[in-house]
Amino acid sequence: MALAFDLDGPTGDAMLSGAIWDRPAYFSLGGYGPWRGLDRILRLLAERAVPATFFVPAWVVEHWPAQCRRIVEAGHEVGHHGYRHERYWDLSSSAQRAVIERSQEIFDRELGGTAVGFRTPSGDWRPETPDLLSAMGFSYSSSMRGDDRPYLHPCGLVEIPARSEMDDYASFAYTRNPDWPSGGSRIASYRATLDSWTREFDGYHAEGLCLTTIFHPKVIGTPGRAALLARWIDHMSAAGGVWFATCREVARWWRR
Amino acid sequence: MVAPVTIAWPHGRSAAVVITVAFEAELAILSVAPDATDRAKSLSVGTYGATRGVPRLLAELARRGTPSTWFVPSALLERYPEQVGAIRDAGHELANCGVALEDFGAVDTAVQLAMVRRAQEAFQHSLGVLPTGFRVGRGEMSPGLPAALEAEGFTWTSSLRGDDRPHFHAAPAGRLVEIPQHHQLDDGPYFAFNLDPPIPPGSPRIAPTGDVLDNWVTEFDAYHAEGLCFVLTLHPELIATPGRIGMLAQFLDHVHNRDVWLATAGEVARFWGEHGPANPPEHPVEVYHRIIGATTP
Repeated sequence: MALAFDLDGPTGDAMLSGAIWDRPAYFSLGGYGPWRGLDRILRLLAERAVPATFFVPAWVVEHWPAQCRRIVEAGHEVGHHGYRHERYWDLSSSAQRAVIERSQEIFDRELGGTAVGFRTPSGDWRPETPDLLSAMGFSYSSSMRGDDRPYLHPCGLVEIPARSEMDDYASFAYTRNPDWPSGGSRIASYRATLDSWTREFDGYHAEGLCLTTIFHPKVIGTPGRAALLARWIDHMSAAGGVWFATCREVARWWRR
Repeated sequence: MVAPVTIAWPHGRSAAVVITVAFEAELAILSVAPDATDRAKSLSVGTYGATRGVPRLLAELARRGTPSTWFVPSALLERYPEQVGAIRDAGHELANCGVALEDFGAVDTAVQLAMVRRAQEAFQHSLGVLPTGFRVGRGEMSPGLPAALEAEGFTWTSSLRGDDRPHFHAAPAGRLVEIPQHHQLDDGPYFAFNLDPPIPPGSPRIAPTGDVLDNWVTEFDAYHAEGLCFVLTLHPELIATPGRIGMLAQFLDHVHNRDVWLATAGEVARFWGEHGPANPPEHPVEVYHRIIGATTP
């Protein structure tokens, strides 16, 4: 079980376009992640002695360095997630390389080490991206959706696939201006979502697979949803025979 | 998972609860479908909030003496004088949200301020009330509006989403209190619906009433355990149907049975203004302000 969180904060399309600088409320909703949600998640992980991986745009590390250092100090892993949550699909190889180099420098300076793990912001990458990642020293990616256990990309990069049904955006995220979901779909039922996640874990457990999550502290880190997350982790712990690990540990084991 | 309580709420209570109401009537429809002025059915979706919603909601609030803060676009003060008079006479707080649910995101600080002033004049003229608080009706406050509101005499806003307790705005609006709200604690994202013109635009199914109660109770219990400030937002045309008002009653019974401080937004703002700590530099409003600082009017 490789719990993983994307600590996007206010990065993303509205920051990349500059629109966010006229939208303090939209910024504040993103800021809730590193400012409040992260602390709540770190606390519940510590209480349960469960490790996790946090994929963090380096811009968030620059603006909330003390918060991000707490992730590392607690023994969790920090992975690459763009500088400002760039869409790798839109970037040339040299632009991808520049984003990674800039972000790794910030990780090294602020967190005392560079990332070995990569999760594509907004999902898609360019066909050449996995080779680039291998060449730049990454050991794994957690970007694809097409399996329920790790596998190797042709270049040797380990992939730890994540699934959309384990993405808290699909159930809970809700923003206005820009509207997300664009059609105004409802915020899902908490109890029904916990039931879905529990059934999914039970299936992975029964089949002996590898589950990871695409949880966002600004989404899952509200007081009530963090309580759901705690109940879900308690259910998984009680199931027995589960290896809770960071993505880095899973990748190392898979490679061996 | 209970964080240490760090806020000494009044009367030794563990947490604060603010019930806010957005009384928008037909403007709720017109703000998303401006061409619906002749579409009686669609408008009646909003009218219901005035004719049936407000009396039913006021009765439910009166049942257990629940205080609340009502945001009323000033255009409704003359259209629905009986309703707003009843809200005032019941002792609820009235607050400014502009004139007619204008999209604040489409205009600059000066125009935003002009609409806020127009609404203040209407409140004073129609009701003899001068609101001290503001929530943006639609769109966003411009980065410069908080300082303009503070200069205008306002003491609080409720328009951001970056915290689960009150905080101050960044300087130069550093004494203006923000009482943050959240979509998951607002009945709009769960219940708003019109078939045609479609509201919301993708015509999602209406959320199950019992599931929304469960979401709110789950959040409330965690806010209470952590000692935070729970801010609920209700729309009379959505929450005050004969069925949903019973759900609200269940929720309010649950809240009243805990040791919480139920207060208006204005009371919470006064408390925070006197006792609240300064924002740490990592607070989202401070981070935002440092970045845009040079360009803030």
